[in-house]
Amino acid sequence: MINSEVKKNKIDSIIRACGILLRMNKARPDARKSERLYYQMLSNYFTRLLNARDEGKFVAAHTVFFPTEILYAMDIVPMHTETTTWMISLFTGECDDILSAGKELGLASEICTPHRGLAGAFASGVLPRPDVMLWSNLICDNTAKSGELLMEINHCPGFFLDHPFQHSEDEMQYLVGELDDMIHFLEEQSGQKMDWDRLAETVALIDRQIELFREICDLRKATPSPFHSQGFLELLTIDYLFPGQPEAIDYLETLRQELAEKVSVGQGAVSDERFRLMSFFIPPMYLMGFLERISQEFGAVSVTEPFFTYWGEGRLDPGRPLESVAEKSYMIPEMRMYGPLDDRALKSIVGCAEQYKIDGAVYYADIGCRHSCAMVKLFKDILNDIDVPVLTLDCDVVDPTITSEEEMREKLERFFELLEER
Amino acid sequence: MKALGIDIGSLTTKVVILDNDGTFSFNITPSGDEAELSAKAAVEESLDRAGLRFGNDSYLVSTGIGAKFVSFTQQQKTITTCLARGVNHLFPSARTAIDVGAESATVLKVNERGRISDWVNHDKCAAGTGVFLQQMAKLMMMPLEEMSKLSFDANPGPDITSTCAVFAESEVISHVHRDPPTPKEEIVTGIYRSVVSRILTLCKRIGIEKEVAVVGGVALNSGLVSILEKEMGLGVLVPDTPQIAAALGAAIIARENIAKGSYR
Repeated sequence: MINSEVKKNKIDSIIRACGILLRMNKARPDARKSERLYYQMLSNYFTRLLNARDEGKFVAAHTVFFPTEILYAMDIVPMHTETTTWMISLFTGECDDILSAGKELGLASEICTPHRGLAGAFASGVLPRPDVMLWSNLICDNTAKSGELLMEINHCPGFFLDHPFQHSEDEMQYLVGELDDMIHFLEEQSGQKMDWDRLAETVALIDRQIELFREICDLRKATPSPFHSQGFLELLTIDYLFPGQPEAIDYLETLRQELAEKVSVGQGAVSDERFRLMSFFIPPMYLMGFLERISQEFGAVSVTEPFFTYWGEGRLDPGRPLESVAEKSYMIPEMRMYGPLDDRALKSIVGCAEQYKIDGAVYYADIGCRHSCAMVKLFKDILNDIDVPVLTLDCDVVDPTITSEEEMREKLERFFELLEER
Repeated sequence: MKALGIDIGSLTTKVVILDNDGTFSFNITPSGDEAELSAKAAVEESLDRAGLRFGNDSYLVSTGIGAKFVSFTQQQKTITTCLARGVNHLFPSARTAIDVGAESATVLKVNERGRISDWVNHDKCAAGTGVFLQQMAKLMMMPLEEMSKLSFDANPGPDITSTCAVFAESEVISHVHRDPPTPKEEIVTGIYRSVVSRILTLCKRIGIEKEVAVVGGVALNSGLVSILEKEMGLGVLVPDTPQIAAALGAAIIARENIAKGSYR
């Protein structure tokens, strides 16, 4: 049974793709070393996941924004379900099959594609069956329910981490209690004990990681901006898959060094930087290549993503590891968008617009994400008030049938003309 | 040096020749299957009419859905940029432009220099566009002009969906065939209100700033424009030939480029 599962799942497609990307990177003399480290890390992550069963490792599948550092500290193999599913979809071109499998489970088309896709990926065996399913309502309310479904599909035990919406001392205490309960659950299920020293070391590294994220963001303020348009997705993936991992520090330090060198010689991500953009939400994954090309063609670079790469203030204390894990969940950039949307969060948009000297903003309005679409008007008004035009692109982060490359090009060309004529 | 603009739409191709004093002549021809050939023929016909020849003394800017398929123009610009210039030339006081063409509807905010500051459009469904009205005219078995006349002084008419052209069509069929049938003029009014509702949704997304100009082929439909005015609660500006606004804008950009010496 285990062998047939291993044969059926598509994890190896990511490893193969990373291998090809690594070869391509090595063949290009001007390729970034950080990019090489990035693909190597991905390859290692998914190889570990692919071999986990054979090596007798305990696998925990988890949804996005889950505190994976707990799993690393317990020597449990994490499977980030969203990243794994959509990388498989991207590299195999099987998005339609994955979404159709979700549809066959009875999930309506109004449910966002990432959630439909996760259910479809597990049901069709694209993802391997985990030992436990972990999910949380952090950032995305839908996950609170879809995680339950994933647990049922996998016929495995699961744990729902209830993350409070607000941020106060009481809520922090509650969250620490939740994390503690989850650790007990994982200890029971895996038979592995939490290594508190390792968690403390991991927290120390996360603290360093966040510092590096901030330094990289600062470097992106330079004109011309040194990091390529879709580069922020690398930063997201690092945070999603490798919190507090030494290889993530290595990657981030290398990237910071590369960007610092480019800034020192005035070299930008594009040869002729004309438009500095702010990005909201995630661009369609299947159009990454196109978006990089059009970025080069028009000299348009995403220099800041206030709710994806701009970390909240604060430091983590390795002496209080569990409290720090709880604290970190309130510092992640997305929390300012999906958590309580207070004045400070809204002012940070204006602050970013000024600090990064942006010319315009692009809002990738994923039609299935009610959270992000609900804020289009609010953010647009805030930016329009400081004379920053905003382009809203209705799209889907994974489903290529919603918006074509042609449509995207037409709208971006119109927007770049608008910016050019100002 | 002559400044020419060509807007290659899905149904018609519009060519404008702009003189230095701001006056212009234009020509509207059906768009052919071969965009390159039919666009060239349209330009040559326009030049012929003006007693001119196609050659090195013309600067041509193209726009519209077919612009990317033609190779003989000096520059290609997006439809929004051209619409903004064209509307500004026709109505310098206009700050909002509504363009309803054959296959899409666009609402733009235009500044005093004829530049867009924002825009929003819908192009996912025929509902709320010119081809939708053509389809409805076939269904009602009357020309568009007659539909337009009928709508004046009619009762508000039934609610017809603005979400989907196919659903709207089946609703109209049911009104035609019910016993007794819904009066034709009321069905027409319902159809127009459906289109207007779609346009107003776009307007609300972007905000309406006076004056408002309506361009594109659908602006020729005075019945629909009248309902739009009622629903918006304000009068709108409609040029004599609203179809040519984008081609005019393209010609204006051509003239700007000539002035900048871009043709050399």
